[in-house]
Amino acid sequence: MSTLLAVNDVSKHFSMGGLLSRRSVAAVQDARFSIEADKAEIFTIIGESGSGKTTLARMILGLERPSSGTIQFRGQTVNAKADRAARLAFMAAVQPVFQNPFEAFNPLKRIDRYLESTARRFLKLSDQTEIDKAMDGALQKVGLSLAEVKGRFPHEMSGGQLQRAAIARALIPNPPLLIADEPVSMVDASLRMSIVNLLKSLRDDLGVSVIYITHDLATAYYISNRLIIMQRGRIVEMGDARAVLENPEHPYSRLLKASVLSTEDAGAGKLGTDPEMVAKASRLVDAPPGELVEQPDGRLVRVY
Amino acid sequence: MQGYFWFAAKRAAQLFAVVFCGISATFMVTHLSPISPVESALGRMTARSNFAPEAVESMRAALTEMYGVNEPLINQYFNFWARLVHGDLGPSLIAFPTPAMELVMRALPWTVCLLLTSILITFVVGNVMGALAGYNQNNRFLKAFGVVAMGIQPIPYYIVAFILLVVFGFIWPVLPISGGFAMNVTPGWNLAYIGSVLQHAILPASSLVLVGFGSWFLGMRALVSNIVTEDYVTYAELAGVKRRTIVGSYVIRNAAVPQLTALAMTLGGVFSGTVITEQVFNYPGLGSLLVDAVNGGDFSLVLAVSTVSVAAVATAIFIVDLLHPLLDPRVRTD
Repeated sequence: MSTLLAVNDVSKHFSMGGLLSRRSVAAVQDARFSIEADKAEIFTIIGESGSGKTTLARMILGLERPSSGTIQFRGQTVNAKADRAARLAFMAAVQPVFQNPFEAFNPLKRIDRYLESTARRFLKLSDQTEIDKAMDGALQKVGLSLAEVKGRFPHEMSGGQLQRAAIARALIPNPPLLIADEPVSMVDASLRMSIVNLLKSLRDDLGVSVIYITHDLATAYYISNRLIIMQRGRIVEMGDARAVLENPEHPYSRLLKASVLSTEDAGAGKLGTDPEMVAKASRLVDAPPGELVEQPDGRLVRVY
Repeated sequence: MQGYFWFAAKRAAQLFAVVFCGISATFMVTHLSPISPVESALGRMTARSNFAPEAVESMRAALTEMYGVNEPLINQYFNFWARLVHGDLGPSLIAFPTPAMELVMRALPWTVCLLLTSILITFVVGNVMGALAGYNQNNRFLKAFGVVAMGIQPIPYYIVAFILLVVFGFIWPVLPISGGFAMNVTPGWNLAYIGSVLQHAILPASSLVLVGFGSWFLGMRALVSNIVTEDYVTYAELAGVKRRTIVGSYVIRNAAVPQLTALAMTLGGVFSGTVITEQVFNYPGLGSLLVDAVNGGDFSLVLAVSTVSVAAVATAIFIVDLLHPLLDPRVRTD
């Protein structure tokens, strides 16, 4: 089995604050996981805001350099400073989908121009009919068509359509890996499932692995194969998505699950979370890091 | 395309409304002011000579008749418009009987050329340098440039003009400091004349460029350092778009939209700035003409200068407005 992506003990520290009160914040601490090449999966990273999930994604994309540890894609260390050919080859294989589709597109540039330049750059196409075919093919995969998109600017499309177009653009080079950073959190609830189902069909029908970053447990449960839960930069639980979410073991994972607001609880006026659970989980933030220990069912849970 | 036509037509209507109001306001200001053009002309003529009171009285009657100031203001106003339509604003008083319009038309090319070149240089160079400084925030040269721009920008333009005058006119006298061209060349399409005109334009243009440059540079740098953190720039970098394309068609193009609006807003201010610059360098443009006209109590010339400058500035803003929808598809033209 060859490894597609290997994240080896990666940490990232940011220094924060003014001149006098400079302190270092660990955004990601010793993250370690890998994704296999021959088995497409949806690998989910769950965590609250500030848990380090976006920093992790940015490091995988080569936008940030890890403070320590390495990230390897197909055996090659991810390096933004690599020569242009190597960087382009990496970009063709790992494509991002961002949170807010309205911010991901240049407001002054037509969507079809985006798709077209991607096709030219990564597929090395120059014939217009071939480019149109590649564009239409990618758009069909996400339930759009070239005729719908042609000549339109980002502000002339809905958020759901635009996010689909973003995914279509990412699919043009036929990448084996997509990094989707909260792809549904800015999309209408009614359209959310269509995007989630789209990610699912990318995995099942096209064999594309997806790193799905979210704070939404329901969609994570629905589509993920494996997941990791992050708390303040630390992976606290990692394993099979259903096993972890059905029976979380780490106090923070339990807190996350308990915090999901069900309509019955809301109707009954039960809006708060058990304060004892919150206290227990937040105590662990400042605890010494401990280590991930393998449980009998194969999942890893952090023990302090 | 039809949407754009209507947009342009609407803006043109606005342009005419602005020009009409501006000219009417100038007319009212000059005609309601307590300074009587008849009295100031009489004063100039009788200052160093002895006239019989009857002669002064008949001169006053003749001048009043000639300027038409004995009529009610409203009639004067309609007469003024009726003549303006034909491009006639009456004779200048300080250069009697040369028509005021002719004096204005003689001065206009000087100011227009001076302003156009200095605004173009300032706007283009300031914005491009500012964009580069915002994009490459660690570049030492651009950082140093930012410090210099920040230092020069708050100096008033007349001080900059005087500094240039002193430095290049007296301490290191390499450039002409006064006038529009040298006395010993014949105006016309010959090399000596054009060379002389360019040489004389260097100092006034530099003083306008030096002062205007800083604000474009600093504004653009601030805009760009915001835009580079936008998702779409990161996204373009991840999509393998070339750096030059990112700077050009992602960063600068997005930042250019507010800068273009700012350009339209500063045009009027830049015009009033040249009034003093032209005075300092004794440049034969509209600014010098206006100052002479005000000093001489020549209200038809003041009116002519104001009319032409209101029309010119409004037209420039109109052109910038027309460019807007071409640059930003979100500006609705229908």
